[in-house]
Amino acid sequence: MRKLFALLSLLVIASMLLAACGGTPAETTDEPGAVDAPTEAAAPADSGTEEAKPAVLRVNVGTYPDIIDPQKSSFVIEIATLKLIYQGLTSLNENLETVPGAAESWEYNEDATQLVFTLQPDLKYSDGSTLNAKRFEFAFLRNIDPTTGGEYASITDEILNAPEWRAADASADDYNRDEWTAKVGVKASHADGSDCADYEDAACDTLTLTFSKPAPYFHTIAGIWVSYPAKQENIEEGGDLWWNSSKYQIGNGPFVMKTVEPFVRQYFTPNANFAGPAVPSYDIEYLYITDSAVSFEAYRNDEFDVIASAAEDLDAISGDADLTAQHITWPGSCTIKIQFSLQPTWNGMPNPFTDKKVREAFAFAFDAEGWVTDVDGDLSSPTWTWIPPGYPGYDPESPLNFNPEAAKAALAEASEEFNSAEKINAMGLKITFGDTPRNRQRTEWLVANYQKHLGIELGLDPVDTTTFTALQKDPNTYPLLSRGGWCADYPDQQNWLSVYWRSDTTFASRPGYVNAEFDALVNEADATLDPVKRAELYQQAQQILLNDVPAAFGYNSLNHYMVKPWVTGYQLTPQDAVFPGDTLPWTITVDASMMP
Amino acid sequence: MGSQPKFSRIEAVVTTYLIRRLLWLIPVILVVGAVTFILMHNTPGGPWDTDPERRQVDASTVQSLESFYGLDKPLWRQFFAYMIGDFNNKGEFVCGLPCGNFGPSYRQRGVPVQAILFSPPEGEDGEMRPWYYSRFGYSLRLGLIALVIAISIGIPLGAIAALKQNTIVDYVSLLVATAGVSLPGFVIAIFLIIIFASWLDWVDVVPRSWDEIRVWILPAVVLGFGTLAFTARLMRTSMLEVLRQDYIRTARAKGLAEWAVVIVHMVKNALIPVITILGPSLASLVTGSFIIETMFAFPGMGRAYVQAIGQRDYSMIMGTTIIFAVLVAIANLSVDFIYVLVDPRIRLDE
Amino acid sequence: MTAHPAVSQTIASFGEATKAKTPNQEAIERLMRNKASVMGFFVILLFILVAIFARVLSPHDPLEITSGQKYLPPMWIKETPGGKASNPDYPLGTDSLGRDVLSRVIFGARVSMVVGFVPTLVIVVIGTLVGMVAGYLGGRWDNLLMRLTDVIYAFPDLLFFIIVMVSLRDSWLGQFMNGMFLLFISLAVVNWVGVARLVRGQVLSLKQKEFIEAARAIGVRTPRIMTHHLLPNTLGVIIVLIAFRVPGLIITEAILGYLGLGLRPPANSDSMFVTSWGGLLLEGQSAINAQPWILLGPAICIALVVLAFTFLGDGLRDALDPRMRGTK
Repeated sequence: MRKLFALLSLLVIASMLLAACGGTPAETTDEPGAVDAPTEAAAPADSGTEEAKPAVLRVNVGTYPDIIDPQKSSFVIEIATLKLIYQGLTSLNENLETVPGAAESWEYNEDATQLVFTLQPDLKYSDGSTLNAKRFEFAFLRNIDPTTGGEYASITDEILNAPEWRAADASADDYNRDEWTAKVGVKASHADGSDCADYEDAACDTLTLTFSKPAPYFHTIAGIWVSYPAKQENIEEGGDLWWNSSKYQIGNGPFVMKTVEPFVRQYFTPNANFAGPAVPSYDIEYLYITDSAVSFEAYRNDEFDVIASAAEDLDAISGDADLTAQHITWPGSCTIKIQFSLQPTWNGMPNPFTDKKVREAFAFAFDAEGWVTDVDGDLSSPTWTWIPPGYPGYDPESPLNFNPEAAKAALAEASEEFNSAEKINAMGLKITFGDTPRNRQRTEWLVANYQKHLGIELGLDPVDTTTFTALQKDPNTYPLLSRGGWCADYPDQQNWLSVYWRSDTTFASRPGYVNAEFDALVNEADATLDPVKRAELYQQAQQILLNDVPAAFGYNSLNHYMVKPWVTGYQLTPQDAVFPGDTLPWTITVDASMMP
Repeated sequence: MGSQPKFSRIEAVVTTYLIRRLLWLIPVILVVGAVTFILMHNTPGGPWDTDPERRQVDASTVQSLESFYGLDKPLWRQFFAYMIGDFNNKGEFVCGLPCGNFGPSYRQRGVPVQAILFSPPEGEDGEMRPWYYSRFGYSLRLGLIALVIAISIGIPLGAIAALKQNTIVDYVSLLVATAGVSLPGFVIAIFLIIIFASWLDWVDVVPRSWDEIRVWILPAVVLGFGTLAFTARLMRTSMLEVLRQDYIRTARAKGLAEWAVVIVHMVKNALIPVITILGPSLASLVTGSFIIETMFAFPGMGRAYVQAIGQRDYSMIMGTTIIFAVLVAIANLSVDFIYVLVDPRIRLDE
Repeated sequence: MTAHPAVSQTIASFGEATKAKTPNQEAIERLMRNKASVMGFFVILLFILVAIFARVLSPHDPLEITSGQKYLPPMWIKETPGGKASNPDYPLGTDSLGRDVLSRVIFGARVSMVVGFVPTLVIVVIGTLVGMVAGYLGGRWDNLLMRLTDVIYAFPDLLFFIIVMVSLRDSWLGQFMNGMFLLFISLAVVNWVGVARLVRGQVLSLKQKEFIEAARAIGVRTPRIMTHHLLPNTLGVIIVLIAFRVPGLIITEAILGYLGLGLRPPANSDSMFVTSWGGLLLEGQSAINAQPWILLGPAICIALVVLAFTFLGDGLRDALDPRMRGTK
């Protein structure tokens, strides 16, 4: 009997010890190495006078990409890899303005139905081979080609005949690829318009895109990853897995892919032939740890220079002055909203959210500040508008805010059927979410929020994450109440307003948002060349949208990272995806002498 | 071993037995394939429905993708196309499973499933690496190490615990077993990482390369811990059972040396239940573990199938399930052979 | 209820026939003498009672979210490095949304005890039956049953749970009892084969033993051989299996939670099943750098259940062992 007790207490003590120790190593790991970054030491890192450690930026990327193929990738992490290896025709600056990339200049015709790019002279791939306009022609054609099966194929639909070719049946007997490539509005040529010979033809520096409708924003799209000039011969020679090999991933970007160890690491070195503002002075190592607790442990152990911080670790960070100084946040690229189905009926019953006053009540009752502190631990920021700060078209003016009184008042003003919490509770509304531990927490908070501020009892409806996506694809199954968002593909109002809310787009038609006035305004703006006039039209359209309350615009994502003090000079933009400043990586310096 | 039958006779029995068991694989694969196929096609969503926070594929692209991959064909036809083969639009026969063709992964945009699981990635300078650098190869290696750890610690621990009942060894084995079953892998893993990587600094938290033996130890221990705990407990129970048998007393009475009694009579007889659980354990160890691979960034195949289900990557789901089925069958077959080796009174043909 | 005389002599050559008490009484007495087992029994009973009276025992509503009170440390830690002081109202601290961890551990006992016990019962009954039939009858029966287990075995169990949970959890079956019912079914369907194979392995070796052959020789009927001779001799293994399966299932539920396939969380506080120990472990793991103590409650509870089962199991096995009959 005594032995048993002794054993039990031993076990309890052992587990307590383990647990307690888990909490304290903050003191043991912060070594004196973490002295404040002396600014003068940051500059001469590129000279590399002594044979010291190479300057390497070790980044925890998280999930390993499914595919690293410019015309097939669609996920942030996939794109973050491509962004290092390749450069598009245009690129972004620190203010998210579109600036020259591989193209030196571009010009629209008077009605913006044609766009002509002129490449920089003497462009080279990292292996020294010529990069001419034919390579970009191939990239655009490959993106449209139905046999590519790319998920972003539709992003170039403004190009003449692109949607038609994309939808063609490639297995049909009368299908002829050459016919389509001749018809599609993509053409590489010499400056004088004459045909290019081949990929070696260095004088081939002009790419002409012809559109089926005015597209004065297309130069921005021409900078995204689908235009990255992966080499045709490498794709063909490398077969299905060409993208998994540093031999075939030859690009024109700031870095060269050196080693690929799938699911373990990727290693990049600077590309001396990079035609951008500057050749980076450091190497990059991408590593893939998805578990945030492990990632944080590795960061404290100086095995990572950059990790994304997690809400769970904030207490450990705030308890340590050095870690607090290394934690940075800045605006991200997404707006997340509490979204409603606007379809007339739901489960055979009238849908309360067809009533604008009910939607207003739900919008006014959303405690965005509370959300940000309680749920996200200040890793997001409250908003009441659609386009997030930092993007062209950001307009903080909004008729909405957090106001429980106004919420109750709005509910009382709703139509007879829905004008009280009791009536709505009787309907048994549920909030649907993709079931992950994190989403559970978030949704449990939302339920408590609406109970508190509106007296409305919502049920929890967890579904599998992919099922959640599938439900949103069909207007009939679109969840009555859910949480969802949109992240910018490229910084232009068109991507936020026309792509997302115009009534004929998939995104607006699923929940059922229709406003003819809004449609007319964005259509006009899309075809307007004058940037000032265009911005004005979009601004009006956004105000109409906010007044309609098709969703409770809740909060913006923040980028939140831990960065070691020897990494300096990063230029933060909302489009950064896996490490601070990865939109303009050449501005960063890594001082290897400070690394322990 | 009694009277030694003719060698050729044993060989014949073993061969027919082996053939019969292998033929049984065909219906097993068919049933497993059919159940998986029905379940996954009953699940809402499809391969083009990605994470809700990503941009979604638009309807017309979905249409062209479905026809590109033949997902617009009737379900029964898709099933037979996978299990046997089908004629494509041009009238050529495309062989399915019998030719080792596990179909194209939809999430990896057409890369064949067998290439994802069995092809090693290229090495530093683009040279071809041996097969055991493939995802399957990594999982196999880790699983075998985990199994060796589980057996080499679990069996002696259990045996000694039984021989020295109610001593410190017995309690240690109880403690290990209790920890092994009460804590899920993701908790054990983070503890071990904190202790061995952060405090003691024996290994890196994040392995840069899996070519060193050292970095395999932590994931293998976490992977094998459950099996170790179970083996130790089972061995202890089984030994206690054997201890009470008449033949042990007989053996001792015959004046056999104590070590001979323990090894020849006790351990050998006590091994039967342990061997039984090792079959399926082996199969589940070598097919990888989602948790281990997530925690240690291990390039095995365990994540492949868990992610495939979330992504509705049908070919990948079918492929991994069938590969697993075959592995389990092979593991169980080897267990049946080991039975005969350990206890010759059990006959193969029964 | 006594064994066939000829057989019992072979089994227990030292078992003197001092038949003052029935074997059952004897077994209970032997069990009562084993203090560790009694202790184990009471621990399990205690947890069952906690599970039943969770509502009465828990100091707070386990779903109550207190704004600004998240991640409070437990009583014995005065202040965290992050500067949060403990609050005696929350003896084990609070979780990521400011809910009381102690109340959640108490409510967790419900789900975890049910998830641990119910499928185990089903698994053991089916598995033992199939294993004994296959092992003892051999031949065609064995072949048929073992191929069936091969088919079921061939599903990676986790994969099977995932695919069943994903495809059926939004149907009525998945909604029933917060998804608990579906979880039972899928756990039971996969797990009985392990028991069956283990029992079969034991029976295969047992049936070659002298006492079984003797029993067969004197014409004891098959069902009786199974219940009286095979079952008691495989009991030890089965008990270890139960002692492992119960916590194993509790952990499986946690792993499903890790994959986003756990039980459906209830929205209102009168629900029976609020959270599980597995779910709490999961939360503790992800917050290990800042709030490791969340792990303590559920980990200790699960360890106690395991130990209790181990001791009770050991005692039971000894008590029921026919060879121990009549010994002190």
